[in-house]
Amino acid sequence: MRSRQSSVTGPLLSVFLIGSAATAGAAVVVELKDATVSLGAQRERAEVAIPAPPAAPIAAEADVFRTRLDMVAIDPLADPQRGAIQRTTHRYRVLRAYPGAPPSIPHGFTGDEFRTGSCKTCHERGGYSPRFNAYVPLTPHPEMGTCLQCHVGNDELTGVSLPNTDPNTICRQCHPPNAVRRVETTLDWVPMAWPQLSSKTPDRPPPPIPHDLEFRGNCLACHSGPGSLRTIRTPHPERASCRQCHVAPDAGVGAFTRPVPDTGDGAGGTS
Amino acid sequence: MKPVDRRAFLRRVALASAATAGSNLVGTVAYAESPLPPDDWQQDLIWKRTPCRLCGVGCGLLVRVENGRAVAVKGDPDSPVGKGLACVKGYHSVQALYGRDRVTSAMVRRGGALVEVPLGEALDLVAKKLRETTRQYGKDSVAVYGSAQWTISDAYVASKLFKGALGTNNVETSTRLYAASAMAGLQSTFGLDGSVGCYEDIEHADVFVLWDTNLAETDPVLFSRMLDRKRASPAVRIIDLSTRTTRTSYAADRSLLFVPHTGLAIANAICQEIVARDWVDREFVDQHVAFKRGKTDIGYGVDDDALVVDDATDADWDAYVAFLGAYTPERAQQVSGLRAPTIRWLASLYGDRSLKVMSVWGTNVNQDVRGTWMNNLLYNIHLLVGKVASPGNSAFGITGQPSGGSAVHDAGTLTNTLPRGVVQNSEDRERAAEIWGVPVDNIDPRPARPALSMFRALDRGDIRFMWIQATNPMVSLPDLKRYRAAAARPDRFIVVSEAYPTPTTDVADVVLPAAMWLERDGVFANVERRMQRLDRMVAPPGDAKSDAWLMIEVARRLGFSQLFPPKEGHLVEEVWQEYSRFHPEPQTALPPLTALRTRPGLMWPYVEGRETKWRYSTEYDPAADGARGAFDFYGHADGRARIMLRPYQPPVESPDSEYPFWLGTGVVLEHWGAGSMTQRIPTLHRSVPHAYVEMNADDASALGIRHGETVRLVSRRGSLELEARINYRAQPTRGQVFVPSFDEGLLVNQLTIDAFCPLSGQPASSTSAVRVERISRRSGR
Repeated sequence: MRSRQSSVTGPLLSVFLIGSAATAGAAVVVELKDATVSLGAQRERAEVAIPAPPAAPIAAEADVFRTRLDMVAIDPLADPQRGAIQRTTHRYRVLRAYPGAPPSIPHGFTGDEFRTGSCKTCHERGGYSPRFNAYVPLTPHPEMGTCLQCHVGNDELTGVSLPNTDPNTICRQCHPPNAVRRVETTLDWVPMAWPQLSSKTPDRPPPPIPHDLEFRGNCLACHSGPGSLRTIRTPHPERASCRQCHVAPDAGVGAFTRPVPDTGDGAGGTS
Repeated sequence: MKPVDRRAFLRRVALASAATAGSNLVGTVAYAESPLPPDDWQQDLIWKRTPCRLCGVGCGLLVRVENGRAVAVKGDPDSPVGKGLACVKGYHSVQALYGRDRVTSAMVRRGGALVEVPLGEALDLVAKKLRETTRQYGKDSVAVYGSAQWTISDAYVASKLFKGALGTNNVETSTRLYAASAMAGLQSTFGLDGSVGCYEDIEHADVFVLWDTNLAETDPVLFSRMLDRKRASPAVRIIDLSTRTTRTSYAADRSLLFVPHTGLAIANAICQEIVARDWVDREFVDQHVAFKRGKTDIGYGVDDDALVVDDATDADWDAYVAFLGAYTPERAQQVSGLRAPTIRWLASLYGDRSLKVMSVWGTNVNQDVRGTWMNNLLYNIHLLVGKVASPGNSAFGITGQPSGGSAVHDAGTLTNTLPRGVVQNSEDRERAAEIWGVPVDNIDPRPARPALSMFRALDRGDIRFMWIQATNPMVSLPDLKRYRAAAARPDRFIVVSEAYPTPTTDVADVVLPAAMWLERDGVFANVERRMQRLDRMVAPPGDAKSDAWLMIEVARRLGFSQLFPPKEGHLVEEVWQEYSRFHPEPQTALPPLTALRTRPGLMWPYVEGRETKWRYSTEYDPAADGARGAFDFYGHADGRARIMLRPYQPPVESPDSEYPFWLGTGVVLEHWGAGSMTQRIPTLHRSVPHAYVEMNADDASALGIRHGETVRLVSRRGSLELEARINYRAQPTRGQVFVPSFDEGLLVNQLTIDAFCPLSGQPASSTSAVRVERISRRSGR
């Protein structure tokens, strides 16, 4: 028989695990409120103030259980479609002005897609796209509404209607004529260095997270599934609690040093 | 790629930011097995805080600096503006520093070509020309033309040198082209410039009415905040009231279209309906509002010196009701094309006491021959129903430049203003003379001509020397050919401080290398009155210096060194202290620089350590007098805001049989201003590489024009060949075309009219008449 305690925490945890950050946060508050009311009824006689949960989810924690398997429409462990085009690290970097920059859009899209920004039709759930003969990369922040505010395309491909079986058009999806070479001569730009990728030796400790989590808190979106970059794909997407083992350290902190013990005579103590 | 040793690598990938400590941003580190000493972590590896400079919103950015160069950007989660988000311009903004054709040394025109010279030599020449010109043609033959991309210290130095030392009021900014009507509107309605509410209104409002502004592209991060608000409260409504169907329309709950320039009729009809239905907040109106009638025969600013003083006279409630009688929704429908039931419905939203309403508008409203009137009318709606100056009840005009928030704090850089007050007022002149340390007679009590008239004076020869800083008028002025010819006339001396070669440096006699954002210190004041400090984080290239310092170097050569800080390093601090002396009162008080260093921007008025979010509200504004009730509109002596009786009048130029299309101009998300920065950023350039003309699909098919084809636009002032875009990003209504104005290769302002709003001096670049001519089918697509 389940205890009263677990009947409260059970649904709470499941909400954490399946909800997206925003909705999960809201749902948690609701659940907690219900729980406190029933607990509060017992406590009433003790005349202790009923503790109230914070009105908003704790910001720093909001993304911790963000990662969700069900976002990946296909089983991330399944074999990818044979012959599907794989993303390459080079390409991944070319689309970003620097590590962490919003990637630009490499493919054409129709006028309607352009105006309404219907990107999430494909990039929220992913899956195999015959249009590109590739698996669709997922957005780690499907809750953001206006994709084209940060991700912009290539004018030469805007309005190219899809799907298109013309082999020349397929090439131009990713290699637009002239565009790349011509403009890069206008800048003398050196971006920050790309994080080095760890070797995947089995006895290595879990690598820390080398990037910010702002807008990128959903690990599985980029680190699992056939649409992800193979070099950063996790071998164990089924473990939903990534940040249990992979941490995002504050790099501004140096080594631990022991505080000087307080001897009680005024001579020592922490400064 | 240069190989890096492990230690350097660790430093590079590590995030060391005191700024973000304690926030929800988590740092990064790569696989360090033994941590480096703390000092080493910090070395040449930092995220530094700055406001974005690529529009007027002022999002907070964190810029990563390595080896003396900016290498990456992210949104600052501590910024109350962007809350961690930026737009694609912000994310790529730092690349604008690194164009290969950056102006890094001074240049002087010799034999028709610009030749590099030592900076000192160029400054000597500028000082010599300035002195010679004033001797030969009088003090009013010299002018400085800047912008709200000036930091406050740049603006202050320019105002002090020209108005205080040289004694001419020929100090003007391109703010006149983008925001003058917004300022004149605030000035006439509230008696004081600067926004009433703030961005936080977005998180409180129930209804957003966007008046002819494509906010999703002009101010994307603010629009994101509205969408966030709607996501949190699905009952919130966004209404896009516009002259074309844009990205904003698709995101809005309701898209309503009307004929350009007819907002005057719609706004008055909304007021008429509010009065007719008795939705007026009588208590608020009786206590806090006075009615005024301005001049109506004001012309269209086409004559050389056409600025009009309004001289508003008293009116009353009955006069206002009688005035509104002409604006039934049916009559407004005839003019605007917006259906009468829709106008009634809009009025019902404003009139519903249970709803908080925020109206937002921008350059399209302001760039009109009746721009000031339209601003007044939008305030009228909110004043009638008492929906101002409280959270979520807001009439909010947005302007586009990083320090374009208000003339109150542009340090006196319009032709009639001083760092506080106006030149016509002897008290204001005496205060300025005392703080500046100049004889009071130096300050001319007659205001000089506003922007367009200043360039017309250059054309005539009344002005012979002009120093242009931080703006690109040879892209942005309307009727461009006329003013380019003026600048190119013999015996006109044009000095341009710039970071890149532009159409404006093409007409320059001297080009001075300007340090950019991130390369110099300063303060910007954004649209919501938020002062944000920008600190130098990388060195400027070559000889480049801040605009303020270049001007001080010239002032020193003219013998005015005692008026300005002697060292570049302390310039901003010293100017700020002096400037603060102009604003000791709580109505306009400035935050101290030290507070700006520790906080992500502070809104003025800043009184006793508190910023003011809602001005004129006795609950929020320490300057408001509680004896006057819940609100004190202290900008006017009687403490009342004005409802101005402003009629609908037709524009100066309407489509006719010869020129049957309205020409609208404006922005696209990817580019900003005259494009000299954003066009050099590869991601942005690839996305929108050139200007184009957007047409309505039905108009295009009637003319046999297809998407991608080249067409010719012809106006009374010039012609321009552009690629037609149909069903592309946005679609104008029938009878209208739209051209983005960022492209120096395709200058749409060659077509626009140089009429202006006679009350504000702001040109009406957004409404001109053109015809569309078919040329040939474009091949290769």
